[in-house]
Amino acid sequence: MRVPSLPASLKSLLQGAGGAAHPSGDRRPTPPRLRGRVRFDPQSCSLCRVCARVCPSGAIQFGKRPDGLEFVLRHDACVFCGLCALHCESKGLHATSDWHLTHLQSEKDDFLERVAVQFQKCSQCGKQKMPSPVSLMTSLYPGLPHGEIERLRAMCPRCRKADAVPGCAVSP
Amino acid sequence: MRALRRPSFLRPARVPPWLYRISAGSCNGCDVEVVTLASVPSQEIDRLGCRFSSNSGQADIVLITGALTASVKDRVLTRYEEIPSPKVTVAIGACPISGGIFRGSEVATDPLDQCIPVDINVPGCPPRPQAILEGIARAVDVWRTRT
Repeated sequence: MRVPSLPASLKSLLQGAGGAAHPSGDRRPTPPRLRGRVRFDPQSCSLCRVCARVCPSGAIQFGKRPDGLEFVLRHDACVFCGLCALHCESKGLHATSDWHLTHLQSEKDDFLERVAVQFQKCSQCGKQKMPSPVSLMTSLYPGLPHGEIERLRAMCPRCRKADAVPGCAVSP
Repeated sequence: MRALRRPSFLRPARVPPWLYRISAGSCNGCDVEVVTLASVPSQEIDRLGCRFSSNSGQADIVLITGALTASVKDRVLTRYEEIPSPKVTVAIGACPISGGIFRGSEVATDPLDQCIPVDINVPGCPPRPQAILEGIARAVDVWRTRT
């Protein structure tokens, strides 16, 4: 049996021991690799929607907007499997170690992440295209200088093809 | 400056709430975490002044795990009705909140919050014991406002 010290006994006598303490007085650190709340970075999203496809609980969904798509992640449906982060080629999703997800029922409808990701315009043909994040382009074209990556990023896949092989007819 | 409080032995005693656990077709993952909470002393559930009860007529805070499957739905509702008011309901895990991985399943058609008034949601698959403890702490706060 642990014997409390005299100051601690006096303190608990004056303040009351039970009921007041909040459990976040947990002294052990959270494991850094714990999969908690998923964070979404719209700058690194190429709108491939593979995350919505692999999500086992349907927590990730994409809605349509006139100028792009809307990423919707319901935190209360997420099962923290980490599949979305595993399959995201552009590293736009990652699990943080934040596990403080408890919420009141009245907050349930707002307990989601809703981010609009806009389509971009091709610098050559001017048509709408899916965004090409830097993280994706650097993994597709390893070793290219930054300026070249930026130039390729601004093009749609068709114009990029035409740029790679000049004079080659690109099928529509 | 902190308000001067009366010493604890001069204040009226706070009745500790009783916890009651209902598994509504759970996979047992969340139940294991709840049992961890109940049996590992370092999780400090006693500091919240809570104790687990197996008697539904005694309970104050209900912890519900599982997706409310069709086979247990009636029994869960019967147990829930037995619990005297005021009671606070805590939904533990992704299943009772949104269906989790069983969302859209033909054996779990009714979401829990359409059958039972839920107060606190603790998402996770399963949530860590610390997260469940946080949920119970909030439930105790809600329960104190109702009693």
